[in-house]
Amino acid sequence: MALPDHIMRPLKRVNRVYFTDPDRILAIPAGEILVRQGEECHRVYLVLRGTFVAYRRTENLEGSGLPAESHVRGHEVFRAEPRSYVCVQAFFSRSFLSSYYIVAIEDAEVAYIDDTTPAVDAEQYGTLEQQFIPVLVHELAARNSRIFTQVSEKEEAVRLLQRAEMAATLGQLSAGIAHELNNAVGVISRRTDFVAANLSEYLAKEDKKNADLFTRGYEDDSFLAANELRGVVRQYERELGLPQDAARVLAHLAPQGNARELLGASFVKHLQRNFRFWELGHDLRDLRMAAKHASGIVRAVKLLGGGSTLHEPGVDVIQSLHDAMSLLTNKLKHVSLQLDLRPVPTITADITELVQIWTNIMNNAYDAMTDAQTPDPLIRVETAHLHADGMQVLPTEYVAVTISNNGPDIPAAIREKIFQPSFTTKKKGLDFGLGLGLSIVRRIVDSYNGTIELHSSQGLTSFTINLPTTQIHGKD
Amino acid sequence: MEKINIICVDDQQEVLDSVMRDLRVLSPLVRLEEASGTADCLRLLDQIDADGDLVAVVISDQVMPGESGTDLLAKIATDKRFTKTRKVLLTGQATHADTINAINEGQVDNYVEKPWVPEKLLTTVKRLLTLYILESGLDYKPYMSILDNTTLFSKLH
Repeated sequence: MALPDHIMRPLKRVNRVYFTDPDRILAIPAGEILVRQGEECHRVYLVLRGTFVAYRRTENLEGSGLPAESHVRGHEVFRAEPRSYVCVQAFFSRSFLSSYYIVAIEDAEVAYIDDTTPAVDAEQYGTLEQQFIPVLVHELAARNSRIFTQVSEKEEAVRLLQRAEMAATLGQLSAGIAHELNNAVGVISRRTDFVAANLSEYLAKEDKKNADLFTRGYEDDSFLAANELRGVVRQYERELGLPQDAARVLAHLAPQGNARELLGASFVKHLQRNFRFWELGHDLRDLRMAAKHASGIVRAVKLLGGGSTLHEPGVDVIQSLHDAMSLLTNKLKHVSLQLDLRPVPTITADITELVQIWTNIMNNAYDAMTDAQTPDPLIRVETAHLHADGMQVLPTEYVAVTISNNGPDIPAAIREKIFQPSFTTKKKGLDFGLGLGLSIVRRIVDSYNGTIELHSSQGLTSFTINLPTTQIHGKD
Repeated sequence: MEKINIICVDDQQEVLDSVMRDLRVLSPLVRLEEASGTADCLRLLDQIDADGDLVAVVISDQVMPGESGTDLLAKIATDKRFTKTRKVLLTGQATHADTINAINEGQVDNYVEKPWVPEKLLTTVKRLLTLYILESGLDYKPYMSILDNTTLFSKLH
């Protein structure tokens, strides 16, 4: 700590005048106790060489049943290094009682004065006490800074503890909910498959055409925007004289408006009376999809609590991106999605964790763009297989996934903060955030020894996640 | 004769499918239309109006990307072409503020919570359809089979 010159100069004089007597210099070997807590000490020491640690033994520790050892155990209160003084308070308060054990942790050397030391040049510099005022100021300043540091460290520790408790509670809670939901969702999912299989078999025996309609409904993956669908429905009502609901089914089967050419007149005629078989299949499809969606959410919730992860080799990163996009279908249909998914090697990973990374980033991108009402919102997903020639930061081979968006920039001031738990910008109405998203991303990426790069400027924000293709063990 | 439309607005296709199914008994006497969001619904409203058709009821979800259901219903409430149109908010997650807005700005006639009871939704829509037809001065007789009799009789007598 820097003391002003008018303190430092007399301090140097005190050191020179009082702490250079060869008869009053002691060598203290490592491990030796210089002063004992509670014992008398009639000296002030100046550390010349080496380091001492001051321990304080508390009542608690006395009775804590710790094994009796030759060395002192307790809380470390401070360290005294060369140019620090020891036992100042005990000496000048005339209590001569040490409040600490002071132990050399390496071979050390100290100089001392004791209560027989006379004041040097008393006529010019005053009494010993007066001459030692700079030492007292030095000591006070040292204690102050120690206290400030300790207080802020303690605050930080308490904060981390509270956060850890919160996360643990959330984890337990979510694990409980996840378990219960998983069972329910499992029943829905399995029974849907059974019903579909049984019904399909039954229909195939009764009526091939209806069985076909059912299967088409069950396997439907047509996607039409609502307004396009309306157009095709109207067209079929008009051209084919179908009622609205039958026309709607036909619009799913032939979204291009070419039902008669595509499926034939007799198919259309049959559909008019039997479109409900398609709907039945489609209902079961929706059930299956909803169950899948729900179990995906359950998996995600489990991850919140840092649940069990299963690292398997041969995980397809591109598949995990597709999974993430399908989880977010509802949101992503409102943005234009650009994909540049180049082939990448498989990696050893837990696919649900990868999906979690991508959904968090894409979801944030979507929310940020919606909030800012970004015109023509865009999310771009790229993959690359890279080699880091000579770079130490990354392993030699890795898979890079970049997810970018054209939403508002992330201000430089919060770029580091966004990865911290409970940082959130989503405070509006229902769309609130727990602030866990990106902290989960970081936790997962760290566990893969991967890295996250964030670029955000001039209306382009991109997150690049680099995952090594081979896992380096030893971390975690 | 002009067609009477009932529109359901939701960003989730499965929800639209379900509402359509629950209201199916109303067709073919009225036309059931679906819209994927506020913007899409406004487009649909323009189209229906351009065709010279009518909109009896709009059933809207609250939480959708872009403008909310309350915003949409508020726009319809102030649109001269649809002053008689009845409005339903169908939602699973409206805040207190949303609800107040829906009543004050959106002038909703009914608030239905997700998940809904199909019979209740159907009764509500039938009642609102009946009110719409009577207040618009339309001939109710062709629609007798799908109207809410209690509402019809109390208004007629």
